[in-house]
Amino acid sequence: MKEIWTSIRRTPYQSLSAFLILFFTLFLTLILFVSLTFLYGTLNYLETKPQVTVYFQNKTVENHIFKVRDELMSSGKVLNIKYISKNEAFNIYKQLNKDNPLLLEMVSADILPPSLEIYAKKPIFLPEIAEYLKKQGDIDEVQYEKDIIDKLLVLTNTIRKSALIFFSYLIIMSIIVLTTMILFKIALKESEITLLKLIGATNFYIRKPYVLESLFLGISASLLSFGIFSFIVFYFNPFLQSYLRGVTSLSVDVFNYPLAIWPLNYVFFTIVFVSISLFGAIIASVASYIATNKYLKV
Amino acid sequence: MAYGRGAGGNRKITMITFDKVTKKFPLGNTALSDISFEIDDNQFVFFVGQSGAGKTSILKMITQEIIPTSGSIIVDDFDVTDKNFSQKIALRRKIGIIFQDFKVLADKNIFENVAVSLKVIGADQSEIKTEVRKTLELVGLSKKEMVFPVQLSAGELQRVAIARAVIGNRDIIIADEPTGNLDPKTSWDIMKIFKKFEGKRTIIIATHNTDIVNSFQKRVLVLKEGKIIKDQRKGGYEL
Repeated sequence: MKEIWTSIRRTPYQSLSAFLILFFTLFLTLILFVSLTFLYGTLNYLETKPQVTVYFQNKTVENHIFKVRDELMSSGKVLNIKYISKNEAFNIYKQLNKDNPLLLEMVSADILPPSLEIYAKKPIFLPEIAEYLKKQGDIDEVQYEKDIIDKLLVLTNTIRKSALIFFSYLIIMSIIVLTTMILFKIALKESEITLLKLIGATNFYIRKPYVLESLFLGISASLLSFGIFSFIVFYFNPFLQSYLRGVTSLSVDVFNYPLAIWPLNYVFFTIVFVSISLFGAIIASVASYIATNKYLKV
Repeated sequence: MAYGRGAGGNRKITMITFDKVTKKFPLGNTALSDISFEIDDNQFVFFVGQSGAGKTSILKMITQEIIPTSGSIIVDDFDVTDKNFSQKIALRRKIGIIFQDFKVLADKNIFENVAVSLKVIGADQSEIKTEVRKTLELVGLSKKEMVFPVQLSAGELQRVAIARAVIGNRDIIIADEPTGNLDPKTSWDIMKIFKKFEGKRTIIIATHNTDIVNSFQKRVLVLKEGKIIKDQRKGGYEL
């Protein structure tokens, strides 16, 4: 630690530049990572809602409805289908309007249509399912949140592709800048490295101080990025709570394990912190490895 | 002629063998031309010759800094001309090197400068402490272990370099113009330190200093234009 600090003090501008580049990369990565996580979480949330609701005409017999249901289930594109009979629809109606006796008096089970609430395996199947239902007989109306799902799908895909390009650019840029900074430092110690090689030092021994310093800068930049990110998130937490009112929870699948991301929790924050620290450490290690490689061929 | 390492202890063995070694650089100039010689274990040898005669090339080949174009070099059983040589580190840990420009690390104090030679081989802290102090005593710098190089004279810096080269029982000590930057009196003081290791290590010194070579009366290999023109067992410096 003492050697790391001495090295930073001896080349403060190179160290500061390396730190700022790392911070810039890690902070943007953090923002993109969390934004994407929330977008996927929102998609997952929407998948838990009835995505297509098909209302049958009043005269439709239950056998026909069940036939449509079974055909959809066997298509492999549907996760679950819930049948709402006339009576169940009426019960739901009563529940929703229990405070309004006038509305309850005007409606009976006879006039409410039977329906199917359909949950697709993937949002991408929704238009296909809706089209299939429209072609069936005795259909009164097919409702699905096409616009929202479509927009979210487009948005998620766009962000994912842009993020990939942006990530690659950030990683390459930060590795190049960091490598250059380390090369400046090493150039000042070229004769020392040559001497160490001649007296039998291993490559690891020579690399160690540079790798450790880069790791220190990488992890420090991760800590600062995470600190600022956490501050922003907690500062805007009341706004987020009001914006996401009604959304009880959001989660994403991580290796088939559902990770809760909303409401904000310590597990999610810990995973974000570990990921960003690892990312910072990897960038720093790669850059220092590349930089030192040039001077080890004695 | 090599002699096997025997139980007797006093039997002579060959430490370094150059066999028909030639070194041509890519631009065409020839540094060494078909040279052969052997240096025995614990022998004290001077390489003399004018600048460009090939002295430094020989030293650099011993440490495998450069590889010969043809011929073979064996250093303490290591074939350093083998292109697949994978024991460069092990070889270099047997060799202590002293340079004309000292190559002392400016940002480390004297103790640390000497200790680095043990640190690279993974010695533990207590061993480093003991050995460094013992070696600094040997080169006459025991009172300056916490001093930084900028505070030392050229002669003292060369003592530091010698201490760094001899510490850790390195079998071979190579010195490339060790007195090149020193005044005559300091040069003699430095050579007296080498004398302390006579018969204990293989010492190879490349130098221009006629007086020193003549007074030491040790083996002298005279180089001219990349060839050995004279090999005297107890020689002087004559060109």
